Amino acid sequence: MNPAHENVLTFLARQTVSAATPLILAGIGELVSELTGVIDIGIEGLMLTGCIAAYTIAGATGHGSLGLATAILAGMAVAALFAATTISGRADQIVSGTALNLLALGLSGTIWSLYQNWRENHDLSTALPHGAGYSRQAVGALARLPFFGPVFFDQYGLFYAAVLLAALVWVIIRFTRLGLILRALGDSPQTCQACGIAVRTWRWLAVLFAGGCAGAAGAYLSIMRTHAFATDMTGGQGFVVLALVIFGRWSMGGLILGCLFFGAINSLQQTLQTARYTSHYAVLHALQSVPFEVFQMLPYVAALAALAVLSRNHPGPRQLGRPWPEYTYLS
Amino acid sequence: MLQLTNISKHFGPVAALDNVTLSLRQGAIHGILGENGAGKSTLMNILFGLARPDTGKIEFDGRRVRIASPVIAQRLGIGMVHQHFKLVESLTVLENISLAAVRGLWSPGRRELIGRIRIWTDRLHWNPDLEKPVADLSVGQRQRVEIVKALCTGGKLLILDEPTAVLAPQEVAELIPALRAVAAAGMAVLFISHKLAEVQKLCDRITILRKGRVVYTGSIRELDAGQIAEKMIGARLKIPHLADHQEPPGEAPRWDRGELSPPRLELRNVSVRSSHQGAWLLFNVNLSVRSGEIHGIAGVDGNGQDCLVRCILGQIEPVDGNVIFGDSSDSHRKTPGINPRSPLGCIPEDRQREALVLPLSVQANLMLKRYHTSPFSWMGLCRFGRWRQRSAELIRQFDIRCPDAQTPVGMLSGGNQQKVVVARELGEKPRIILAVNPTRGLDVGASAFVMKQLLAARRDGAAILLVHSDLDELLAISDRVSVLYNGQLQETSWPDASREQIGKMMLGVA
Repeated sequence: MNPAHENVLTFLARQTVSAATPLILAGIGELVSELTGVIDIGIEGLMLTGCIAAYTIAGATGHGSLGLATAILAGMAVAALFAATTISGRADQIVSGTALNLLALGLSGTIWSLYQNWRENHDLSTALPHGAGYSRQAVGALARLPFFGPVFFDQYGLFYAAVLLAALVWVIIRFTRLGLILRALGDSPQTCQACGIAVRTWRWLAVLFAGGCAGAAGAYLSIMRTHAFATDMTGGQGFVVLALVIFGRWSMGGLILGCLFFGAINSLQQTLQTARYTSHYAVLHALQSVPFEVFQMLPYVAALAALAVLSRNHPGPRQLGRPWPEYTYLS
Repeated sequence: MLQLTNISKHFGPVAALDNVTLSLRQGAIHGILGENGAGKSTLMNILFGLARPDTGKIEFDGRRVRIASPVIAQRLGIGMVHQHFKLVESLTVLENISLAAVRGLWSPGRRELIGRIRIWTDRLHWNPDLEKPVADLSVGQRQRVEIVKALCTGGKLLILDEPTAVLAPQEVAELIPALRAVAAAGMAVLFISHKLAEVQKLCDRITILRKGRVVYTGSIRELDAGQIAEKMIGARLKIPHLADHQEPPGEAPRWDRGELSPPRLELRNVSVRSSHQGAWLLFNVNLSVRSGEIHGIAGVDGNGQDCLVRCILGQIEPVDGNVIFGDSSDSHRKTPGINPRSPLGCIPEDRQREALVLPLSVQANLMLKRYHTSPFSWMGLCRFGRWRQRSAELIRQFDIRCPDAQTPVGMLSGGNQQKVVVARELGEKPRIILAVNPTRGLDVGASAFVMKQLLAARRDGAAILLVHSDLDELLAISDRVSVLYNGQLQETSWPDASREQIGKMMLGVA
């Protein structure tokens, strides 16, 4: 569908959903990981890992699906590194996560220049070959619905996957004993141990799941939404995910609401940036003197403000960020 | 149904259990008595699969078993109620039980589980709201959830590790018939405790452990309390009593000679509300403590004790009334615990949270209130030589058993941790002493030690306010006794009033 034929509202809504998709994907993983008591600060790095893995593999092989699969596996591999240090090695999660972010930033930059060199030496373009990137996939007749069609049923394939995954994880957390275990792990691992639940194994699995989700979110950014890679292209979205999980008070509904809110502000500021030059309204022309960085800042400021206002009085998982088993004294 | 034969367990060179043999019948309540460190916990951990014995065999239902993990213990039908509850506070009662009692990842098995839970709650004459989060339950209710959880997972043997340590007296009174009901349903119950009175009320047979060895097994009726205590700690030991610490008439403090010294600590018409328009936590409380006396405050936990203590410490401000520290020289600040010149020594209820810094050394904990004063500090620098000297004195004087003064306090046993607190708070001879449940969680020997120290401080002329939920200990060493009920304080005519009268006042029926 051609954006020119859409009204402004539909366009904004569609951009919102599109911008929210990677946040939802990474958020599902982070939510599960935090419920079990592991705060994965390295989510930004995991997403970046997904971006570079998807882009280079899709570019080299010409198959988008290979790129996506590699992104998921790469996310899980880096997450395994994090799990090994923090869960098995009981290292501090914040410090390890920060190290992971720096590692991913450096590594993705290095791989990106190696990839560029290699492509240029073989006289190949660094742009994605035709067919390697994904395009939007309309869902049959549903896509022709007014408003809802373009907004929800003419998105990238990963959006539908994200929605299904969110529903699945919600059902699991809410209605199954597995969900009970996940929730209990973050609150009272000692209870889980007494119930014969292998605390560290489950935390490992949760962190690997979060890695896969973040990897997929990265792939969405590089081979679906933009068909490009740039150093540090996640631009802090991983950190926004951390904030949104808190904003949503560790619930799936709250998380998705937060992602849509952030996506909405983001698409609004992007539209405003263009509209101040192209719009018929003189009011918007006045904004031309405002530096574009101010617009880019808006979603983050809004997220911060929302976090400050709305997220009080919820402690979250009680053992969040604490290693297991605890260091104890005899008593 | 359960038979342990020659179980031994060593931690390094120390024998935690030495050739322990124990047998248990269906429908019986078996008590395991012993001091802290006698090996009770190790024995329980072996039965519940948290530790493995070095030698010996375990037979369950006539079959030899190896209990390698809690899961295996549960499969055998062994359920355990830990001293520190293993409950997830954010989950509901039902979810907590489901977590422990259901296998498999998908179905939490609600309907079938509710049926199983109701069978047990009916037997216990208890009707809990299964959809309530555990965080909203009282300590006694949480323990019942633990018991029901253990019954639902196990169903043959129920182990309770110091179950009454956290309960108020009335909750203890409810627990005993509940456990009898459990035994009557054909379960075997193993009851671990160091409180004689409860074991005598509840158990048919007992095993007494001392330093990892069984010193007695058999019917409880054959021994009296004194004999049991003797077996537990090796030597005959008397509970300290005020009467044994009365001085010859000439040297007695003025209080004992019938003269009224002015009160050192006084509360006049003190009232506290939970919030602006909220319930009265303390209402019009009048209280005085004189030099050389122990004023005991009896009461069931949760009747305003915590509030009273915090008022005296200056941690909460009463809406009405005054807290007066008798001597005008006893200038009182809002946080007397930090004020080194404060005349107040305080033994708080929760030593691990309010009195000690567990990772710090014994020496550092002993110096916590005085490190920045002369002679322990010079121009803001620590004089470690003086620290060492003083802490060595205190360690000797208060018989703190630790490898050396640099050992982290967290590595010591509960009794020795409490001795560190007592040494710090009483070692500098404060004029006012506030002691809150000072023997909580301590064994007979350590309790006696703490009570003796309070009596010694009394002889030295300190004014002591003792807030204690153990009525027997309280009555043994108090000159005067008041009862706190529902935020109101009423003085009794102790020692003329009887124990029963005071007990009735504690329950608000007198």
